[in-house]
Amino acid sequence: MPSAETSAPARPLLAIRGLRKSFGATEILKGVDLDVRQGEVVSIIGSSGSGKTTLLRCVNLLEEFQGGEVLLDGEPVGYREQAGRRLRLKDRDLARQRAQTGMVFQSFNLFPHLSAAGNVMLGLRKVKGMGKAEARAVAERWLARVGLAERADHAPSQLSGGQQQRVAIARALAMEPKLVLLDEITSALDPELVGEVLATVKALAGEGATLLLVTHEMRFARDVSNTVVFMEKGLVAERGPPGDLFGNPRHPRLIEFLRGTRDH
Amino acid sequence: MDDLITEAWDARDVILGGLLQTLSISALAIVLGTLLGVLVGVALVYGAWPLRLAARAYADVMRGTPVLVLVLAAFYMPAVLGLHLQPFAAGVLALTLFCGAHIGELIRGALGSIPRGQTEAAKAVGLTFFGVLAHVLLPQALRSLLPPWINTCVEMVKASTLLSVIGVGELLLRTQEIIGRNFMTLQFYLLVGALYLVVNFAIEQAGKALERRVAFR
Amino acid sequence: MGYTLNFAVVWANLPKLLGGLLLGLELAAASLALGTLIGLAGGFLSVGASRPGRALAATYVAVVRNTPILVIVLMLYFALPDLGVQLAKGPSFIAALSLYSGAYLTEVFRAGLVAVPPGLVEAGKAIGLTRFGVALHVVGPVMLRNVLPALGSTFISLFKDTSIAAAIAVPELTFQARRINVESFRVVEAWTAASALYIATCFLIAAALRGLERRFPKF
Ligand SMILES: Nc1ncnc2c1ncn2[C@@H]1O[C@H](COP(=O)(O)OP(=O)(O)OP(=O)(O)O)[C@@H](O)[C@H]1O
Ligand SMILES: [Mg+2]
Repeated sequence: MPSAETSAPARPLLAIRGLRKSFGATEILKGVDLDVRQGEVVSIIGSSGSGKTTLLRCVNLLEEFQGGEVLLDGEPVGYREQAGRRLRLKDRDLARQRAQTGMVFQSFNLFPHLSAAGNVMLGLRKVKGMGKAEARAVAERWLARVGLAERADHAPSQLSGGQQQRVAIARALAMEPKLVLLDEITSALDPELVGEVLATVKALAGEGATLLLVTHEMRFARDVSNTVVFMEKGLVAERGPPGDLFGNPRHPRLIEFLRGTRDH
Repeated sequence: MDDLITEAWDARDVILGGLLQTLSISALAIVLGTLLGVLVGVALVYGAWPLRLAARAYADVMRGTPVLVLVLAAFYMPAVLGLHLQPFAAGVLALTLFCGAHIGELIRGALGSIPRGQTEAAKAVGLTFFGVLAHVLLPQALRSLLPPWINTCVEMVKASTLLSVIGVGELLLRTQEIIGRNFMTLQFYLLVGALYLVVNFAIEQAGKALERRVAFR
Repeated sequence: MGYTLNFAVVWANLPKLLGGLLLGLELAAASLALGTLIGLAGGFLSVGASRPGRALAATYVAVVRNTPILVIVLMLYFALPDLGVQLAKGPSFIAALSLYSGAYLTEVFRAGLVAVPPGLVEAGKAIGLTRFGVALHVVGPVMLRNVLPALGSTFISLFKDTSIAAAIAVPELTFQARRINVESFRVVEAWTAASALYIATCFLIAAALRGLERRFPKF
């Protein structure tokens, strides 16, 4: 596993600076700062409603945000400055930027009208402009990597929850994104299916993928992450290597939070 | 009965010509109306407010006005506005506008019932708005739309009879002409009714076959 | 071009237009009433135990739903006299529209009946009601409330379908508009007025129905 502590302090792949986000009058993110370096695995933990999902959705431009900036590989995403005003990018530019990050959702969101392979191929064909045969080959390679080579032509409805989520992971990874966002990807699964999905993510982390994930599985966060981030009330309250954060928590809310979760 | 068969056989060219006209009118109205309906439906769901308002007004006016009024208006109105339409074109125009409004509403409903996660997952892959629409939303919407769309096709075939009122030589008008010659009123109305039944049953059966083929596996 | 709007003819003919509108509403109401009787019979038949009864209801629905309303209207008006049945224009049209709406209402009532929980029927039997008593006092009221919205939208469709009575020269709204069109050549005004009156009436009926539905809350 690449060690974040010893690598050179190069420019982070993802830099979130002072991110502010409101829904109507209620401010949900109140100035979040967060870095993710190339090859790093960062886990976000925190109580329900602390803004974890919202943060990931801002990074993938599924939400607009009102303040601060998100830099992916140095490029500000979602907005451009013009005459001192912040303007939301056009649909085409947003799409281009979204293609650089992959996202795996809690509820899989597989396209029901496409097969497993079709789900993986859609972005390859329509966004990357790959030919059918090439896209099919890439899709099969990725489905094999998540252990679903035999299920390529199955419809989503013919797959178990765990299998569906692994297809969703293949769909995100096949686009070769710089960064993959994973939001509680095992929360909608039956307990006996959680293991297979987490093992898949762990393997990807071991191969050097850059991951920013939200999880309620503390053991998993401890095993897989270089850095764990604790969010509380729309702010990053504490961050550090998993050993420190779980072994020696300092923020009182984190101590309370960890006491409330059984399996760390 | 023998009389009917003899008379119908003598008039077979007229009847077939009318049937062909009915099928062309219906097919044109359905194809053009469906294209229009997709635009209207998308405008109703995703349009900026001026466009949405225009689409809403269009759909409400078309659906609140009887089809016969639309047909008569399309027949009489263009001429005084300096546009000369043949009765056939005027009738097809009226049916298309009506069909487009109905299909627009159907599409609006179908798009609205697709979970938001589908759009988000498609955006996350990097598709633009039109990519999301073309490759993810519409294919799903069209599948759930197939049964009501087939229904609309049947309604359009039925509505095509209204063009007889403006003198388009479709099946009903041709039949009325035949009755005018041989006075076999009941027989020929039953015959024409049966012909419409056959056409519409055929559409329904084709629709069911299509449904089985495109159902989610 | 050079067509200038002039609604004077419409104003002058307003009483006739409104009279036509009222006639349309009457035709629709009469057809809804008769269609409801047919539809109730068809609905009970289609969920009943009798196999020929179910087949009869299903055939009626399939045949009528696939036949153009204009064909039914013309057939009843022009062809029934061949069988010795001579109806005036209005009654003939009402008969046609009732027959037509009866098929749609059969479907409406069938769906409403299927949606009545079977437990209610058993509870009705348990207190000693006859089968007819259960239908009248238990299933009927529950079903009627469930189908109220569908009855309302059927009435709106029927009202729009009354325009077809113009084809046999019943002087309802479409007939009046066409008369203005032909007599005065105020083409745009005539059809705009007709369309506006139809739309406004449909809108008012829909609003009234929403009020009615609020008055009778769902069980
Ligand atoms: N679309 C929205 N409109 C209004 N409020 C929203 C919306 N989405 C989220 N919120 C609010 O934002 C807050 C943070 O939500 P978020 O989903 O980011 O929390 P979370 O940390 O992911 O929680 P969980 O662990 O339960 O998933 C919550 O109070 C939520 O009610
Ligand atoms: Mg969340």
